[in-house]
Amino acid sequence: MLNIRFLCLTVKDLKLIFSDGSGIIQPVLLGLILVFVFSLSTPIGEEVTAQAAASIFWLATSFALILVFNTLYSMEETNQARTGLLLSPMPLQHVWVSKALTGMLLLLLAQLFFFPAIIVFLGQENMAGWWTLLGVILLVDWGLVAVGSLLGAVSQGHAARDSLLSVVIFPLLIPLLLAGIRMGAHLLGGADDENLGAWGGIAFSFGAVFTGAAIVLFPFIYNEY
Amino acid sequence: MLRLDRVTHFFDQRLVFKDISLLIEPGRVTLLAGPNGAGKTTLMNIISGLIKPSAGLVEHRLSRDRMAFLGHSTFVYPGLSALDNLRFWAKVYCRRLNDDDIMQLLRLVGLKAFAYEKAGYFSRGMSQRLSLARVLMLKPDLLLLDEPGTGLDSDSRKLLRSKIKDCARAGAAVIWVSHTLEEDLDLTDRILFLENKKQAFYGTTQAFRSWRQGKDVEH
Repeated sequence: MLNIRFLCLTVKDLKLIFSDGSGIIQPVLLGLILVFVFSLSTPIGEEVTAQAAASIFWLATSFALILVFNTLYSMEETNQARTGLLLSPMPLQHVWVSKALTGMLLLLLAQLFFFPAIIVFLGQENMAGWWTLLGVILLVDWGLVAVGSLLGAVSQGHAARDSLLSVVIFPLLIPLLLAGIRMGAHLLGGADDENLGAWGGIAFSFGAVFTGAAIVLFPFIYNEY
Repeated sequence: MLRLDRVTHFFDQRLVFKDISLLIEPGRVTLLAGPNGAGKTTLMNIISGLIKPSAGLVEHRLSRDRMAFLGHSTFVYPGLSALDNLRFWAKVYCRRLNDDDIMQLLRLVGLKAFAYEKAGYFSRGMSQRLSLARVLMLKPDLLLLDEPGTGLDSDSRKLLRSKIKDCARAGAAVIWVSHTLEEDLDLTDRILFLENKKQAFYGTTQAFRSWRQGKDVEH
């Protein structure tokens, strides 16, 4: 029987995030500012290429990812709730799955704001294949949250946790972001990329590898006491 | 229920304590005492399974869902109401409780009127009472208490002591780290006294009193 006990953690995290809203407002605002500032870099009358638009979209998403996972894991440090989880009978992998799921939902919510901003501020009008686009976003988000949830746990307990997460996470995300940008560019209509399937394969492999690694490594990382 | 055999622990190269042996039985309250830095909390962390000892054996036949911990840290989420905090921990421990059961627990610890208030607005004493409600909700077989009375007023301490007594009467083994030794001795069946990085005394409360008197005379 599928054990869905981790959902109680997800529900709790969502309640905490939306109880004061700051956990989602910050990443959304940061992403929107990023899109807006980049839109100012284009001379009037000139269009932003689809590849540049896709890059800005995934950059905004990556910054949102850092903020989301810092928030999600720092919530467990208040009153040392993490110790409570470590002492509980819940398998620690459930914590990783739950944080990844919550992170995914929050990231999708943030992207709901980023996407129209890309269309409005960066003038992307030739979009095709909404369902494929959604599939690409979900595929790349899977890899992002797999890494985010794993490394979010690593950075907890460090005084420089915000910067530590950024320093560790960005180099790791390069292949995934590259895949996201190339697939995004294709779907936004600007780029002609015959290797779309290959980039999809890279994104899928990335998600699968980090999901597997997290399931094995997460208990050791989170259990550091 | 739980046995420690010659447990020794180091932090890096520094010896915390060595050769601690202890037998914990159901329905018995065991007090861990000793001066600051004696390693009481470290020993508690070893017993709870949070850290592994450098040497020695920790044997128990308890699953994690039969243990509960109450310490300085309350494990309370400030952004959730008292009711939601307990609902969450009940689910984590697979306890099937409805809201009436949880309200009953909150009434027991004097927080029923604050059930829907965010725990972030609670005082230290109220948060600790909420934490006590969490522990009572779990009905543990092994109750681990690490100075749970720190920062509590006398009413809250009285409540805490009476609930610890109830837990022991119900058959739970209680291991208790305390700094208020004189105050807590009456509740205790066994005492483990740590001093100079080793087990200076382990035995009944009565024997401990005699041991201490003998020590005072020596000095």
